[in-house]
Amino acid sequence: MFLSFLRILKFSLQDISRNVWLSVVTVTILVLSMLSINTLILLRAISDNAVVAIKEKIDLSLYLKPDAPESEILELKNKINSMERVRAVKYTSKQEALDFFRDKNKNNPEILQAILELGKNPLSPSLVIVPENVDMIPDLIEELRAIDSDVVESRDFSDNRVLLEKINTITDRISDVGFFIILVFIITSLLVVYNSIKVAVYTQKREIEIMRLVGASNSFIYLPFLFSAVIYTLMAILIIISVSFPLLGILQPYLELFFVDYNINVVSYFVENVWTIFGWQFIGISVVNVIASYLAVSKYAKV
Amino acid sequence: MIKLIDVNKIYKNKIKVLDSINLSIKAGEFVSLVGQSGTGKTTLVKILTGEERASSGKVWIGDWDITRIGKSEIPYLRRQIGVIFQDFKLLKKKTLGENISFALQVCGKSSSKIKKIVPGVMKIVGLAGKENRYPDEVSGGEQQRAAIARALVHQPKILLADEPTGNLDAINTSEIIDLLLKINNFGTTIILVSHNREVVNNLNRRVITIDEGRIVSDRSRGKYII
Repeated sequence: MFLSFLRILKFSLQDISRNVWLSVVTVTILVLSMLSINTLILLRAISDNAVVAIKEKIDLSLYLKPDAPESEILELKNKINSMERVRAVKYTSKQEALDFFRDKNKNNPEILQAILELGKNPLSPSLVIVPENVDMIPDLIEELRAIDSDVVESRDFSDNRVLLEKINTITDRISDVGFFIILVFIITSLLVVYNSIKVAVYTQKREIEIMRLVGASNSFIYLPFLFSAVIYTLMAILIIISVSFPLLGILQPYLELFFVDYNINVVSYFVENVWTIFGWQFIGISVVNVIASYLAVSKYAKV
Repeated sequence: MIKLIDVNKIYKNKIKVLDSINLSIKAGEFVSLVGQSGTGKTTLVKILTGEERASSGKVWIGDWDITRIGKSEIPYLRRQIGVIFQDFKLLKKKTLGENISFALQVCGKSSSKIKKIVPGVMKIVGLAGKENRYPDEVSGGEQQRAAIARALVHQPKILLADEPTGNLDAINTSEIIDLLLKINNFGTTIILVSHNREVVNNLNRRVITIDEGRIVSDRSRGKYII
């Protein structure tokens, strides 16, 4: 049994090395197919990360009366902070708001002059509320509206709601379309892989015929080809892993430039999900290759 | 040893290739099967190797009724019947030694046994010292010798030779026929399918002539008559 297994493995490796160009072509096709699948996974990761990052940027601002006493503001802050749907509350005093405004408009002398001419700080203090989860915003808004406090000046959250709805709509569409595109791409890639393996087996139909002739059992006819299919997949996945990470490393700085202020890291996404992404690809493509090999061999191994 | 009783072969397109074949070949005989192209000689060989099944009738190899042989039994049948062809059917990517060993490896023979059998068989067919040559590096005659060696490694009781000299020149043809006679002298039954009138006539052995799927002549010291 063990001897047979070793022989089958030996025949398989011999076939791969002696049909080196065919092996190179087959592995190249597998690599290209996997590259297209991984490109889609990458795009999906970027879009998902971007949506999450945008959602995390959504917060609610509660504008307070300019003359509100600090103690009441802090009391309100603590009250909001203790709410279940609230992750954090940041208090921005009148002075901090003015400093931030000046800094933001430092290149606009007309606005800075207008503030000076007013002679007093026109900005209100505010509480910036970060929700625990962006989906909780509608309920949180209702909760904030219900707060009974004299220091609150404005509770208009309508803009955030519209933005939130838009983001949710976009997210859902990206999710649906992305899933469909990935599915189409995976099916196309698998068909390409299936055909390339069939062609690889076709070129060895004479070998199969001779195996039959000399009385080889079915396991000796089929298994070397099935092993070869798995070895081709293994080679392709190792190539794709060794190519992917340097490419992602090159891409990462450009993504950081494009998504300024958003924490999008595709390298860490692929590192964290390396077994899921490449493991499933290896299993999936191996299965397709083995099925393709089996069907192709059985076509030429008819008794 | 080999017995065919009222064997018919009709293909799906209703063409009758073999018509009521009754034939008996004794162990150790050297039989030439002759006839024009398309008369059913190769179909008969295919039925004997389990590649085709008779549409009706009975086929016996020794005590084994192979008429309705199961797919899983076919490898065992083929290990008992050596077959050689006009186009040698050697694996181009394997050396002559590997081609011969291959027939034993796929049957699960141990490496030590293979190392013992292969050089002996190569010596019998006159290929000693050429184990590491690839088929493209030797002559047609030597390729056919390697194919014969491969067919012999299982020590078959029957050797089917389907036009073995079809691709060979006169000298190589003569050498291959001499080799088949030598193997026959060891007690192996030889069934030679041939178009070569000169070869068949020089053998002066039993000749079975097939025409349009029927046996039209069966003579113990026959000649090529068509």
